[in-house]
Amino acid sequence: MSAFSLDPRTKLFLLIASVLSATMAPNLTYELGLVLLIAVFALSCKKTRTALLGTVVYVILYLLTNAVVINAGESVQAVLLAFFGLIHKVYPCGFIGVVIIGTTKISEFLSAMNKLHAPKSFTIPFAIMLRYIPTIREDWHFIKDAMRLRDVSPNIKGLLRRPAMTLECVYVPLMMTASKAADELSIASVTRGIENPMARTCYTEIRFRISDVLAASCFLAYFILGRFL
Amino acid sequence: MIKFENVSYSYTGNNSEGLEGINLTIGDGECILLCGRSGCGKTTFTRMVNGLIPHFFPGELSGRVLVNGMEISKTPMYQIAGQVGSVFQNPRTQFFNTDTDSEIAFGIENAALPIDELRSRVKQTERDLNIEVLAGRSIFELSGGEKQKIAFASVYAMNPNIYLLDEPSSNLDIDAIEELKDTLRRLKKQGKTILVAEHRLYYLMDVIDRAVYFENGRMEHIYSPDKLMVLPATEREKLGLRATGLSDIELSQAQEKPGNSVLKLKNVSVHYKKNKILKNLNFSAKSGEVIGIIGHNGVGKTSFSRTICGLHKELTGQITMNDVPLNRNALMKQSYLVMQDVNYQLFAESVEKECTIGIKEPDMELARSVLQELELSSFLQHHPNTLSGGQKQRLAVAVSMVSGKEILVFDEPTSGLDYDNMMRVARLINRLALMEKIVFIATHDLEFVCQTCSRVLYLDEEERQYEKRKSN
Repeated sequence: MSAFSLDPRTKLFLLIASVLSATMAPNLTYELGLVLLIAVFALSCKKTRTALLGTVVYVILYLLTNAVVINAGESVQAVLLAFFGLIHKVYPCGFIGVVIIGTTKISEFLSAMNKLHAPKSFTIPFAIMLRYIPTIREDWHFIKDAMRLRDVSPNIKGLLRRPAMTLECVYVPLMMTASKAADELSIASVTRGIENPMARTCYTEIRFRISDVLAASCFLAYFILGRFL
Repeated sequence: MIKFENVSYSYTGNNSEGLEGINLTIGDGECILLCGRSGCGKTTFTRMVNGLIPHFFPGELSGRVLVNGMEISKTPMYQIAGQVGSVFQNPRTQFFNTDTDSEIAFGIENAALPIDELRSRVKQTERDLNIEVLAGRSIFELSGGEKQKIAFASVYAMNPNIYLLDEPSSNLDIDAIEELKDTLRRLKKQGKTILVAEHRLYYLMDVIDRAVYFENGRMEHIYSPDKLMVLPATEREKLGLRATGLSDIELSQAQEKPGNSVLKLKNVSVHYKKNKILKNLNFSAKSGEVIGIIGHNGVGKTSFSRTICGLHKELTGQITMNDVPLNRNALMKQSYLVMQDVNYQLFAESVEKECTIGIKEPDMELARSVLQELELSSFLQHHPNTLSGGQKQRLAVAVSMVSGKEILVFDEPTSGLDYDNMMRVARLINRLALMEKIVFIATHDLEFVCQTCSRVLYLDEEERQYEKRKSN
C-alpha cells in the first residue's frame, strides 16, 4: 500500500473529534498531545513536511506560553494568555484541516458527501472552493514576480516597511483572478454534469477499511481520555 | 443535429457579445468553424449549445435551440452534458482533480457509471488518444498542452455526440496543435459533430466542412474551406481573420533602428529544481531590437524570460549591459515582464495611480505623457479592472516606461487575440523598438513573430540553441 488512505467520512470524524478535544482540553499538555497525534496522522499520510512544520511551530508556541506563565507580570499575562489561549484552541483544528485538504481528492470528497446524503447545493460550492486552494499557490508565484518588478518586496521585510501597499499588491490581483477562476471552474464542472442528482460513483474506491477503524478509535480514545484528566 | 430557430440573446448588464436572429442547422458528423473578431458572438453561440446559456449565464433569450431533439433551455445541464462535451481555452482552470486518472473519470463519475465501467472507459480513452504516458500523473506537473489533452480525454470518456471547443489552440505549441488536429480527424471519422470557435485558422482548413463568420452578433457569412482559403489577404484582414495557411504569412519589414546599449549574455546556464534547462547561452541584443523567443512548451521560454528580468535565482554565467555586469537586482531594475495574464500585475485603484505605485518620487508629467502616447489618457480615473484586455496590456507597458525600464519581455502577448488586436500589439511593439527599448517576445504565434521580430532565438531541448535571422 502506497500511503495510508482513509475514507473522507472518517476524516470528517477525525476533524470533529479534534475540534471537540481542543475546545474541551483540560490543559496545555493535553493540547500538545493532540497536536502530536495529528502529526502522527499526517506522517502516516506521507505528509512529512506538514507534520514536521506543524509540530515545530506548536512546540515553540507551547514553550513560549509556558515562559509567559512563569515569568511575566500579571497584567502582561492577562493580555497575552487570552491571545495565546485562542491560538491554542484554533491551532489543532487548522493543522488537521490542512492535512485533510492535502490528502483528499475532490472526487473522493464528492462521492463521500453523496453517501452521507449531503445536499448538492452545499457540496458543489464547497468542492469548487477546495479546488480553488491550489490555484492560489500558482497565482502567488506570478504575483511575487509582478511585485518584484515594481520594486515591492514580497516578504516579511516589505510587509513591515510598507504594510498597506504590500498587502494591496497581494490581494488586488488575487481578487481579480479569483472571480474569473471560480467561474471557469464552475463552468468546467457543470458542463461535465456535476449537478446530476444520481449518486455519483468514484474511480478510486471509497469504503471503510481497518485503517479507518484504527484512526477513528485513536482520536476517540484521546477525546475520552481528556474527559478524565 | 443542432438547430437554431430564430435565436437572439443578450447578456444581462452587458450590451456586447449577444446574438441576433440566428437560423442555422448543423447536421450530424459536420465539423464547423466559428470565426470572427473578439466579442463577435462565437463564444455565445457555443454556450447556447452546451446549455451554459441560459442555465449559467442569465440573460434574455428568444427563439429555440434544439440539440438532438432536446430543447436546450428546458433540459437540465447534466442531461445536456451527456450529449455535448465542451473543452475550453484555459488549461489551468478546467480541472477538478489533482491526478490525471480521476480527472478523466470526472464526467463519467457524475453520470454514475459502475466502477468497473469507469476503469475500462478510462483505460480505453487513454489508449484511443495515445496518452498512456500521462496516466496516473499529477496534473500540476503537466505542460499546458498535456493539460489540454487531459481535459479533452475527460470529455471523450463521456462519449458525447457533439464536441464544442472554445479556442482550444491558444495555449498550445505547434506540435500540440498538430496533435489536436489529429484528434479532431479521429472524432470526425467516428461521425461526431464538432464545433470549434477559433482565431487561429490555419490548422483547421483541411478538417472543417463549413466556416460560419459572425460580426456584431449576426451570422454574416458561411464559407466552405476552399472559399475561405482563396479569400485575398486584404479582404480576410478586413474581416479581422487570421491567416488561413502558415505559408501565406507575409514577413513585414520590422522597423529596426539599433541604438547604442548592448545587453550581453555570457555562458548563461539556467537551472530549475536541479535540472539544467538552458545551457551555455551566449547572446547579445541591441536597444531597438525585437527578438522572438520560440520553442516547444516546457523548453524553458518562461525561465529564459524570468532570467532576463532578474527573477530567476538559479543561474550561472554573466549578464552585462554595455559591458557592466548586472546582478539580479540590477537586472530587475532595468527590465519588465508583461505577463500573459496581466491581471497579476495591476495593483492600483486607478489607471493614473497604477503608473506611480512603488516609485518614491513619481514624475507625474512623464506618467501623463506616457499614458497619452499609449492612448490611455481618457481612462486616468478608471479602475484598471474595467479596461479591456488590450488596454490592460498597454497599461502594463505604460508602467514599465514610467519606471524607466529598458528591457521589456512579453510572455505570449497574443494568446486568444483576433487579427485586429494582434496587429495592435504588433504596432505597440514596433513603437517600443523605435524608443530604443530592447524587446523580447516569448510566443508560439508565428504569424505574430513575422509581424514584429527582427531576430528569433530558437530554444530546443537537445542543447541546440540557435539564433536565426528572420529570413530563414
